[in-house]
Amino acid sequence: MSVIQLEFYKLRRKQLLLFVTLFLLIEISWAFMVMNHSIARNPDQASWEPLIMTISTMNGLFLPILSAICVSRICDMEHKGSTWKLLLALSVQRRQLYFAKYFCANSIMLAISLFQISSIAIYGLLKDFTQPIPLSILGRFFIGVLLTNAAIIALQQWASLAIKNQAFALALGMIGSFFGMTAGLFPFSIRKFFIWAYFIDLSPIQQHFTNEQITYSVKDFNDLLPLMVTVFMVAVFLYLAGSFHIAKKEV
Amino acid sequence: MMPIISTYNLSKRFGNTYGVKDVNLCVEEGEIFGFLGPNGAGKTTTLKMLLGLTRPSRGQVKMFGKDLTTNQHWILSQTGSLIESPSYYEHLTGLENLRIIQKLRNVPDKNISEVLKIVRLEKQKDKKVREYSLGMKQRLGLAMALLSFPKLLILDEPTNGLDPAGIGEIRELIKSLPRRFGMTVLISSHLLSEIEQIATAVGIIHHGELLYQGSMASLKSKSEPAIILKTRNNLLAKEILTAYGLTPLLKENSLALENVSDDEVAAANKLLISRDIDVLRIEEHKKTLENIFLELTGKEKCL
Repeated sequence: MSVIQLEFYKLRRKQLLLFVTLFLLIEISWAFMVMNHSIARNPDQASWEPLIMTISTMNGLFLPILSAICVSRICDMEHKGSTWKLLLALSVQRRQLYFAKYFCANSIMLAISLFQISSIAIYGLLKDFTQPIPLSILGRFFIGVLLTNAAIIALQQWASLAIKNQAFALALGMIGSFFGMTAGLFPFSIRKFFIWAYFIDLSPIQQHFTNEQITYSVKDFNDLLPLMVTVFMVAVFLYLAGSFHIAKKEV
Repeated sequence: MMPIISTYNLSKRFGNTYGVKDVNLCVEEGEIFGFLGPNGAGKTTTLKMLLGLTRPSRGQVKMFGKDLTTNQHWILSQTGSLIESPSYYEHLTGLENLRIIQKLRNVPDKNISEVLKIVRLEKQKDKKVREYSLGMKQRLGLAMALLSFPKLLILDEPTNGLDPAGIGEIRELIKSLPRRFGMTVLISSHLLSEIEQIATAVGIIHHGELLYQGSMASLKSKSEPAIILKTRNNLLAKEILTAYGLTPLLKENSLALENVSDDEVAAANKLLISRDIDVLRIEEHKKTLENIFLELTGKEKCL
């Protein structure tokens, strides 16, 4: 069994999957309620764009805190049981363990993204949206969520492993949620520095306010690509910096 | 016999002070080596350096005849350890904790049942570790260290926090390991009585420096009785006895004669009286290991 498989094994009895599912159900239910309300007022809203935009906005609020909790649960068990020295004395490399934890957290968040996409598709079908399921838009939405999650998880994991007291990492997650939620209120020149804002910025849908009306447009993939590369680079940088720092830390 | 552990000028500096300084440790195969020292003497830091958990500031560690820095993976595969408090995943059961070690060590299932039997945790194996008592956690830590039946076992204060019955049980278990499984054991403690009952060799560390290293038997030989002579004129008595061929040591208000036979004591007494020096007392003083330990570490208070 590899170190990665062991990470999943260690999550037994943590009820992490149950917690994540419940948390996600709250987010999705909320998003669908907003959509129901919106469609009831304006039937034109019964289309994929507003639905994806609503989920993207909700992600800014929910996913940073969910990532923080998830990563904290994965990392905290090593602090609680003083298992760093046990694992290192068993010849487990710190960077190997760091990667295993990162992989594990990303896998859970990946499962969440897939669950979200399935829910979006099911909702659209149930509501008889006129257009077919927009696979290309959903694909881009998926990549955006995945990349933003990757950067946030890298930051959260660094915090959770570097500082034993998980209150710090969780507070960071809450701050992230705040920025994620209010990202749209800041100009891009400011919000580009906050990784939590990218749930909206990497969303394939753009929201416009014209004549007190909200309209939606689909962003061009080529316009999103540089931003995707930037977020990917940020994720790589945060991961490497965290891994290097933790590898140097004495047990 | 090949030394299983040998260190050369092993040192660890914390800021401007040395936590461990120029320690040259030598642990032979099949020994139970007691690493003794007061709290904060540098025992845990030394053991951590042996396991590669802490990088030495200076010096070299050789284990099984190989350099630790270049053969760490192989050396650790031959070594079981329990450092400071036991490590465990408290939300998992004892068995699940052992399964994690089993997968990392790549050892068969039968090892798990065997170590559970050795540490007597068979009945509690399905309980979450969070519900274990301190003694049970300590025994689980020991089971984890024993799981691959390593050639070398490094135990850092394994009886910490245990009740007297638990201490006795762990002690007997450790004592049996070299005989039953051919293991070499390096055990640290701040309790002299504990090391005295277990160890075949001993190293005494204080303020990061190794003050004594040798077999338990040679340490015990230092505790041979001394004859204390109290006279009316100790200075003159010392001169007379030295001239006679003895080597008396002048203490506060007496003379100490080490390694002397009964006949020599009688002759010394006779000699002093013949020279008109009143002999007030002749006493036999036995040095305990504790006295030796306190003399070496210079600690007069609680260890």
